[in-house]
Parts: sequence; C-alpha cells; structure tokens
Amino acid sequence: MDMDTDLPTPPSPGPPSAGPEDQPVAVGVTDWDAGGPSDGRVRLPWPRVLLLGVLAFAVWFLLFAPTLQHNAQVSPVGTRRTISLDITRPIAALSRALQLSRIVSATGRENDQPGGTAGLIISGPRGDTSRTKTKTRPSTVPGQAVAVTTTTTTVPPNPKLPTAATPLRVLIVGDSIGLDMGGALQSDLAGTGVVNAALDGRESTGLTRPDYFNWPAELASDIKADNPQLVVVMIGANDAQDFLGPPDTPYASPAWNGLYAQRVSQFMQVAGSTGAAVVWVGMPPMQNPTLSAQMADLNAIVKQQAGAAKPPVTFIETDKSLGTPTGGYTAFTTNAAGQIVNTRTPDGTHLTPGGGQVVAQQVIAQLVTEGYHI
Amino acid sequence: MLFPTIDFAVFFAVAFTVNWLLNPYAGPWKLAMIGLSYVFYGWVGWSYCLLLFATTAVAFVGGNVTGAMRNDRGRRGTMIVTVAVLLGILAWFKYYGFVSVNLDNLTRTLGMGQPVPLLQVALPIAISFFTFMAISYVIDIYRRKLEPAKPLDFAVYLSFFPHLLAGPIVRGPELLPQIRHRRDPDNIDYSRAFWLILAGLFKKVVISSYVSANIVQPVFTSPSQHSAPEAIFAAWGYAVQIYCDFSGYTDIAIGLALLLGFRFPQNFNAPYTARNLQDFWRRWHMTLSRWLRDYLYIPLGGNEGSGVTTVRNIMITMVLGGLWHGAAWTFVIWGTLMGVGQSFGHVRRTFRERRGLPPVADGPVRIWVQRFLTFQFVCLGWVFFNASGVSQALNVLGRVFSGWGEPSPLVTPLLVLVVAGVLLSQFVPPISVSRLQAGFSRLHAAWQVGILSVALLGVTTFGPVGVAPFIYYRF
Repeated sequence: MDMDTDLPTPPSPGPPSAGPEDQPVAVGVTDWDAGGPSDGRVRLPWPRVLLLGVLAFAVWFLLFAPTLQHNAQVSPVGTRRTISLDITRPIAALSRALQLSRIVSATGRENDQPGGTAGLIISGPRGDTSRTKTKTRPSTVPGQAVAVTTTTTTVPPNPKLPTAATPLRVLIVGDSIGLDMGGALQSDLAGTGVVNAALDGRESTGLTRPDYFNWPAELASDIKADNPQLVVVMIGANDAQDFLGPPDTPYASPAWNGLYAQRVSQFMQVAGSTGAAVVWVGMPPMQNPTLSAQMADLNAIVKQQAGAAKPPVTFIETDKSLGTPTGGYTAFTTNAAGQIVNTRTPDGTHLTPGGGQVVAQQVIAQLVTEGYHI
Repeated sequence: MLFPTIDFAVFFAVAFTVNWLLNPYAGPWKLAMIGLSYVFYGWVGWSYCLLLFATTAVAFVGGNVTGAMRNDRGRRGTMIVTVAVLLGILAWFKYYGFVSVNLDNLTRTLGMGQPVPLLQVALPIAISFFTFMAISYVIDIYRRKLEPAKPLDFAVYLSFFPHLLAGPIVRGPELLPQIRHRRDPDNIDYSRAFWLILAGLFKKVVISSYVSANIVQPVFTSPSQHSAPEAIFAAWGYAVQIYCDFSGYTDIAIGLALLLGFRFPQNFNAPYTARNLQDFWRRWHMTLSRWLRDYLYIPLGGNEGSGVTTVRNIMITMVLGGLWHGAAWTFVIWGTLMGVGQSFGHVRRTFRERRGLPPVADGPVRIWVQRFLTFQFVCLGWVFFNASGVSQALNVLGRVFSGWGEPSPLVTPLLVLVVAGVLLSQFVPPISVSRLQAGFSRLHAAWQVGILSVALLGVTTFGPVGVAPFIYYRF
C-alpha cells in the first residue's frame, strides 16, 4: 500500500516558517487588538468571567457536596481531612435538605469505594473452554466491567499438581505495592500454563481504614467469585496510621498493635475460609527511614499472626530480596540471572516492574519449595 | 498540583483574580505570577523549585551572554556551553539510572567489573518540558530570532504555570511579547476557554480513565491471558487513552491561559485522521514536533543532503524524540518505529520524484486506507510506548496473532462505542465547535451557569474517584 502522499517532508525541511506545521501553531499575540472578535464569540470583562466561573463552581459544589463529604470522610486522617469535612458538612446538609443530592444519587455514584483504578483481573489457561465459563460481572468500582473466569470442577484435583485441564486457582490481593508485585506474579504464574491467577489490587488501601476500603469484604467477594486454592496477600504500605474511632487509636500504641494483629488474623481467616492456602508477602524496606521502621514493625505483627494461624500462613520476607544484606533500603539488586535490576521507583516506596519480578520469582520459588509443581 | 482537583480550582480562582488585579502593574504582576507558578510547581515537593530556579538562571545568563557577544565564535561557544549544561542537568535526572544500570550490566558481562556507581535519581516533574523551552530560548538568541529577555520576563516565561508541567512547549517569540504587553481585561474569550477546560476534563477524567481501567490496564497487565480482539482493542484503547489524556491536559492548559489573557500554540490537530506518519507528527504533540524539527533535525542537515543522510537525520531525530519521553528501551523502539515509518515515506516519495512518476490520484478509498494503515502503525508504536518492558509489548502483540477463537469479555459494546466515538470525533469540523462556543457566549448568564455546572457535574459523576496523574507528567 502506498503510504506516501503529497506531504513532501519528514519532520520538516526548509526554513521553519515555511512548513505547514507553523500554520496551526501560530499565536495571535494581538488577537484582541485587531479590532474585535470576528469569530462570533462574545468576550467579557474579567470580573464577569470570574463571577460566571464562581457561580458555576458553587452550583456544582452544592449538587456534588454529599459525594465530596463522603470522599473527605474516607481520606487520610489529618488537617486536610478536618478542613474538608468542616467545609463540606454544611453544604452537603443543605444539598440534602434541598433534595439536590438526589441528582447524583440517581447515578449510583455518591458513595463509590475509592481505592485506585485496578479492579479484579483474572488470567489463566484458556485451553479447557469446556470446563471454563468466562463472563463479565460488575467490579466493586461501578462502571468498570471486569472479566471473571469461573471453573466448575466435580472432583477436586490436587492443587499442588495442577495441569492445564485442572489449573491451580490463585488469587493475588494487595495495595499499590501488592499491585506492583501482583502484576508480575500473575504473568509469571500464567506463563506456567497450569495456573489461573486473579489479581485484585487497590491503590492507597490497607487494613486500618475499612471506611475507606473494606478489604475483608472485598476479599470475601473475590473468594466467592474465584474459589481460589491459594491466596497471595501483599498489603500494609498504607497501614501505619491511627484507627479511626471514636475514640481514635493512636498508631503503634499497645492497643493499636493488638487491634492490627486482630485484623490481620481475621483477614487470614477470610483468605483461608474455603480451604485455600495463604501466602503473605511482607513489605520491603523503604527509603524513608520512618516508614521503613514502621513497615518492619507491621511485618513483625503479620509474621507472628502467620505463625499462629491454623493452618499456618506462609510469610515471605522481602527485606533481603529487595534490600541490602542487612535489610536496609536499596534501589538496585542482582537477579537470578546475575543482572543488575532497578527494583524501586524514585519515590523510594513502590516497586519497578523489575522489582515486582524479583518478588514474584521469590514467591514462586517458595511455592515450589512447598511442593507445588508449577 | 493536578489540574482536575479542587486544590487547583481554588488556586486558579486566586491566580485569576491576582492576574487581572495586578495587570496594570507590570512589575508586581510578574512577581506574582512567578510566585504563584512556584507554589503550583512546589505543591508536590519544594525541592524541585530549586531545579526550576537553577534552570532559569543558567538559561537566562547563557542566553543573555550569548546575545551580548559580538563575535560569532564567542556566541556559538557560549550557546553550546549553555545548552550542554542544560542538557547535562536533564541527563543527570532523567538518564543516569538507565545508563548506569545498562553500562554496569554490560561491563559485568565483559568481566570488567562495575565501573559506574548505581544511584537512584528522582525524576523531577516537568523537567523535560522546561529544559526544552530553556534550550529554545538560548538557541533563538544565538540565531538572532529573539532579543535577550529581562530577568523577570524570562522567569515568567519558563515557570508560567499553565504550561509548566506538560507543555505546550511555548517558544520565546510566542510568549515573551505577551508577557511584556498588558493584557486586555475586557475582552476575555471565555466561551472558548470554558469549552477547552471542560472538554479537557471530560477527555481526561471520564474517557481516558474508563478506557484505561476497562481494557488497557487488564490486557497490558496479563497479555498472555487475553484474546486477540482484546489485545487489538487494548492497543486501540491506549491510542484513545493517551490522546484523551494528553490532549485533554493541553486543552485545559490552553483554556486556562486564555482566561489569563494569553494564547498558547496548538498542540493537537486531529492526529488520528493522519494519512501517513509525517502527517501524524504534524498533528500530534505539535510543539514537540516543531522543536525537534528546528533544533535537531534541521541542524543535523534536514533533508538537504543525500537520501541516506536524510534517513539518518530522521532516525536520529525520532530515536532521540523517543528517548525524550523516557529512559527505557521501549521508548527507543517506539522512536525507531516512528523513524522507520517516516523514512519509508521519504524514500518512497524520493523514488517517485526521481522516476518522474506523477502523483497518485486521491480518492476516498485511498484516503481511508491510508488513514487506517497509519493508525494501525501508530498503535503498534503505542504498544511499546505503554508497555513496562519489551517482553510485555511483544506479549501483547503476540496475542493479536495467537489469541483468536477465545472469548473476549472485555470488548463490550460500551467500550467499542467509546473507542469509535473518540476516533470519529476527530473528523468533527472545527467550525462546528466554534459555532457551539459562539452560541454559548450569547446565552443568558443563568443558562451559562447552568450549563457549566451540569457539565462539571457530568465529569465528576462519571469519572472515577481519584484521578490518575496525566501520562505526560512523567516525561
């Protein structure tokens, strides 16, 4: 096919002013000095434009205030949240009193669960279509249809000896760092040809703020949909914060540690409620020393709960695989192939695709050690 | 600070008022604009303001010394040193990590140890954009196309918040005269500005987010587990996503500038209507295209030399253009693909000219086939552009060939409608949009308030909770 046309030039030959590129990018510095608009558009003086914009914003604010109030309620604790609530509370009350909030409520969007853009992403062998039914179901985030694969099996196969016909069903759940790892793990597991891996990752979530995102409920929903035989969890990066009360429970207080251990334990119970094995991947060292110490504390709680769980949960530490030999922060590591890999994003918190791959391989190696033939 | 946030709405209301209140007073206005722009930039991290200030200082001093030099050797030397310093700053922040890892892996493979220290350097937001603007300023002075600016004028030029984070890449001759002259406070083209801002918000918050969440992200996360139609729609979907994301940002930036009394250059012109890659690059990120043309391609020799030289110049320009977007092999491949595509067009045209062949007659079928093929080639490039690595891109492309006969639950009627709708919207004549704006501007103020607030409500209601940053923020 002839891709060539009458446009004769690569990016551009000739003098800059001669190219057709210059025509659309020309700016009319004296547009308003040229004797008035010729495009039919009425111009206004700036105070009227300001008034128009402010009034439009005010009407929108009144209509949308209940949603804004909800968003403020589930935002991180702090001055910003307090101010946001103080501002939105009376406006939202007015909106409800005037029945204006019904306009947004009618769309079903008023109390959306936040938690980032990722919904449930299912992957796995597709060869056995006679045994696998693929359908769509609504995500927990409205408007995001997601693929769900349900498998009906009459004789429970040995999950440690999966085949393409009877694949191991894995569910991976996590926060943003869990997503970084989960994408790589899902891809690597799917690459074995004998694993059906589902990934449900939610940015900015954790176990301390169920008002913001209710992970136990989400996990229960995922388990009902997927019936996994193995659940991999990587959650915790956002958990170093107070439990909301009243009264609030300050982070790292004895009461907080006890409550967090309880939530972790409950989460493990939900994960294993249908008999699935559970693997919990610990948080890596962070560049921020305070955050890094907090993650170490949370890892200690999770590790303790993993050991106490019945049956025990496998806890995988990442402080060496993603850190220095002494468990400190580093952005680079050497992978199994002997190649230097940049494992951390510049924020010093999240994982690069290479970092996700390192942890994914660590998880797979652990599963192989535990007898999984994958 | 992100445009689609309440933080920014409040910030802009203040900036708009300050802008017009101080409009009669040039000095205070410039100081206020610089201050507001630094607040805008420093919202996510004040340390980067030092970098913006340093770039401003280097480019200003270098440009003005270049302009003051009387002999050509001195002018040229000063210009080269200044551009080298600016590129050095950019290279340190943007490319050090990429180069050091790849170099160390190479030397380790060759048994030569690990000579380059591994350091993680944080990439400051917008550095690619303001560095290119600073370079254009210095080179324009060297070429005597621009007089050296006064310090405050130049500081406003480089830091002006509507263009600061992701362009358009505005040049000195376009913006500096607007900064020097007083803006007319009584003739604000508000209907066009509001249209651009709301259209940009809709494209970014609703369309881009929807397509990303419902096809692009799932397929790119696990390409091997999706069907061929899903892989194809993921590539097409990413074309829609990045267009809505980046042109949406640009629309908002141009609209905000209009409200402040400034005109920015156009950055997009229905790129998916392009009939070949040259045409595409005249329509996509136009301010970057012309920057690469004027400050890289033409200095390399453009198409003045032999065919081989021209192809070399095209390839260098496009590969470096790819690397400008990010330090990764995927961007190198993307740039190479764009270069190969353009070179093919150049070679074919040259061949026909040398043979004295007449131009091929245009017909609707030919035009639409060209558009279709160009779009597919652009989408091929987008797969590499969006992929986290070369293997992921190859996996997505592999599914296009191997994933037939499998269910495609992600290709929903709504998704098809959205993708097709965005592509077809490229063919809407600009005059129709202009008439809409004109019609809006003649409405009674109450209707205008109602329309604006309902449009805003639509964007916030149908968009997701929490909007991802613009794609081009990371470049």
